Amino acid sequence: MIKNNLKILFLIIFISTSAFCQLEDLKWKKADLSYEIPNNFRQRDYSFEFNNAGDLVKKSIAYTYWFFISDVDGDNCPFRPSCSAFLMQSVEETNIAQGMLMFFDRFTRDMNIYKGHNHYPRVKTGHYFDPPDNYTLDQETIKYIPSTHIVKE
Amino acid sequence: MIKILAIFLLLPSCIYSQSKSINFHSIQNKKLFADHLFCEGDYLRAVEEYEAIRKTIKNDTIDFKILLCYSELGLYQQAEQNVSLSSNSDLSSEFNKLFYINQFKKDQYSFYSFYELRDYQFTIKKFSTLNIFHKLTSMSYLYTDLNSRTKEEIVKPFDVKDRSTISSFYDWKLDPPYKSPALAGILSAIIPGSGKMYVGEWGDGITALLVTGLLAFLAYDNFRANHDTRAWIFTGLGAFFYGGNIYGSVVSAQIFNARINFEFKDGLNLFLEQKNYFMPEYDFCN
Repeated sequence: MIKNNLKILFLIIFISTSAFCQLEDLKWKKADLSYEIPNNFRQRDYSFEFNNAGDLVKKSIAYTYWFFISDVDGDNCPFRPSCSAFLMQSVEETNIAQGMLMFFDRFTRDMNIYKGHNHYPRVKTGHYFDPPDNYTLDQETIKYIPSTHIVKE
Repeated sequence: MIKILAIFLLLPSCIYSQSKSINFHSIQNKKLFADHLFCEGDYLRAVEEYEAIRKTIKNDTIDFKILLCYSELGLYQQAEQNVSLSSNSDLSSEFNKLFYINQFKKDQYSFYSFYELRDYQFTIKKFSTLNIFHKLTSMSYLYTDLNSRTKEEIVKPFDVKDRSTISSFYDWKLDPPYKSPALAGILSAIIPGSGKMYVGEWGDGITALLVTGLLAFLAYDNFRANHDTRAWIFTGLGAFFYGGNIYGSVVSAQIFNARINFEFKDGLNLFLEQKNYFMPEYDFCN
């Protein structure tokens, strides 16, 4: 009796291991992944919907920059936010005049002939983190982050 | 064969089964388990065990360990409640030390108000506790405002080997190596880029000088050749780069000063962590 029961027990163990074993057609397969960087920087929204004159000026400057510089140069800005996004955010946070000064300063830093950007912290993508909040002339809004830190955008 | 295999499988489970004769929930065993968790650094579970033990027995070492656990977990409110239990304990001076350290960690920037608003130093009898209190007060002045304290007053509570470090912190606090934003702006107005160079950003400074210089030359050259449209475009661009550089130099000096403040506080934090907030070493785990 015990012998029969043990046989059944072993049968159950062996059948279950055979039944749930890895099937040939379910083995690991090569995934069809694309490692290409999405080329979406050309998909710009050039709409001229604006609420006030300041909005119109801001959009005009940004679109001109996109058309003559960003789209020609490609996604090569070493900073985050990128120079055009920096311009838009600067104007939104301050005003047209101050935003323009902030942008031209950023553009000069972007052109740094020695590529001396190592004092900026980086974001995960490897770009240098350089938010407009640090450039509003308000000491309280400056957040110094050491270059050794990785910033979460 | 199968029978032997079955016996081999079943026998160890009988031999090594948990015996009912051991009471795992006795106070001694609970304490042993709590001590193990404490020494492993699992303060959250250790404090639960200690709290359970405290309901049964009164022991100031367990109270102190509970306070230590809450301090390590940063639960200062709960830690404070445990200090009040220690008034008649032999360890009351140790409780006081931890209480001050917790107060400092909780609100390090205004810890000195303990010294200024209350007379805590007169209620503390033990020298070592008073010494920690004074050290933390000195650190608090360095973190916030020196409030016209002299270097001797700030340095006095520290050991001889730490005095030079505290002294250099004091000098830094008194006269931080800031850069003047106004001077940076003026320098860039006179020679484009020189404000950035003054702040230490040589690459940006030289780039600004070259870009502004090039645009100024192009504007001048085109005006001279009567190409007025091109000349005005270069003039406009040059003016923006010139203005942007003055603005950027001012901001660079501000960011430089923010970096100095950051590094100063970072240095203080590092010093405090190295000294473990002047907490005595309690040998509970050896």
